[in-house]
Amino acid sequence: MNFTNRLGKICDALGTNPKATYPVMLIALVKGICRPTFTMMDKTEKPETKKYTALREGLTEFIAIPTYLVCGEVAARIAKKLKFKNVPPDVNTSLVKRASKNMMFIGVCTAALFIIPALCSVAIKPIMDKFMPQKPKNNKPQIDTNMANKITTLNKPDINSFADKSNPIKPIYNNRNIYSGMKVGGV
Amino acid sequence: MITSLAKMIISSPLTTMAQSASTQVAVETTMKAIGRPGFILIDNNIDPDTKKYAVAKEFLYQATCLLLYMTLVVPLFKEGAFKIGPKLFKDHAADFAKFKSANDYYKYRKYADKPFESDRVVNNKIDRLFNADLRKELKTKENPNLYTRVKGTIEAGNILGSVLGLAILAPQVSHAIIHPCLRALGMEEKKSAKAKAKIDTKA
Repeated sequence: MNFTNRLGKICDALGTNPKATYPVMLIALVKGICRPTFTMMDKTEKPETKKYTALREGLTEFIAIPTYLVCGEVAARIAKKLKFKNVPPDVNTSLVKRASKNMMFIGVCTAALFIIPALCSVAIKPIMDKFMPQKPKNNKPQIDTNMANKITTLNKPDINSFADKSNPIKPIYNNRNIYSGMKVGGV
Repeated sequence: MITSLAKMIISSPLTTMAQSASTQVAVETTMKAIGRPGFILIDNNIDPDTKKYAVAKEFLYQATCLLLYMTLVVPLFKEGAFKIGPKLFKDHAADFAKFKSANDYYKYRKYADKPFESDRVVNNKIDRLFNADLRKELKTKENPNLYTRVKGTIEAGNILGSVLGLAILAPQVSHAIIHPCLRALGMEEKKSAKAKAKIDTKA
């Protein structure tokens, strides 16, 4: 089978039974691959920002693919349960078929309007936090009060530390009054 | 209420919209342009300034996609596929020749889906819009020829255009448009010379 015949068969399938889910899923799939790739190729952004944005974009599109499929199919199945009154059975069948296609379209639109944004706002943040834990946004360094106290204590000159109590021989400077003749502003 | 809902579901405008990939994608993009910024707005965990920025950016991105799609992708790929169709599928060239354009096919399809006796047998519009072959199909046959190969070719062109346009072209174009727009709206500041110098030093 050559290329034209294959293409012809695809076109026949698209002409006979076009589903609203096909184009939107295909777009989401290609977007899910291309958008993160383009983001990673951007040389003006920082590597961390690029990774975060690319992962976020990819996740959004990969959440969208199954959502479109499920919403479209569920809506189409609901339409199949419809029964039109006062119409012959064959007309009813064709009307149900039409309703099923239209409902699939409504399902896809509902997914785009409500379900995907809602799912993304609920699911993306925990996933992002798991894969790429963010540094705290607060620019002020968090001070560990205990450590701060220790540092303050270390910086204070302890007069007693000059004398090593374990050493019986007293250092020379300990015998004289080091503060004698001290002037304001220097030792 | 259920009857009116069922009537709305099988209504002709909705059927026409659901049959064309280009209309589906355009409606879906419009929904995205409303839905995504809407959900960012109602998110209480984001600070107000970031929220405004994210909403404006997302809306501008989707609006750019829609504009680009409607002005460039749809006319180019829909009509392009219709013109390439007869050359690719020579055994179906006669089918393509019955229609002037892709839009002409969709008009035919709209009538072909309508009930035979009430909407097709006596209809002056059909006489004005279509040639003798198509008039005969619509007015004498209860199940007219739907020319599935013609429709499939146009749909394939639409899908290809949608994918190329929305997934590859639109992000590039929107990247170039969105930041100047955000700066014009006062939501993004231009990098100062000092900041640039700082970056250069680090590089």
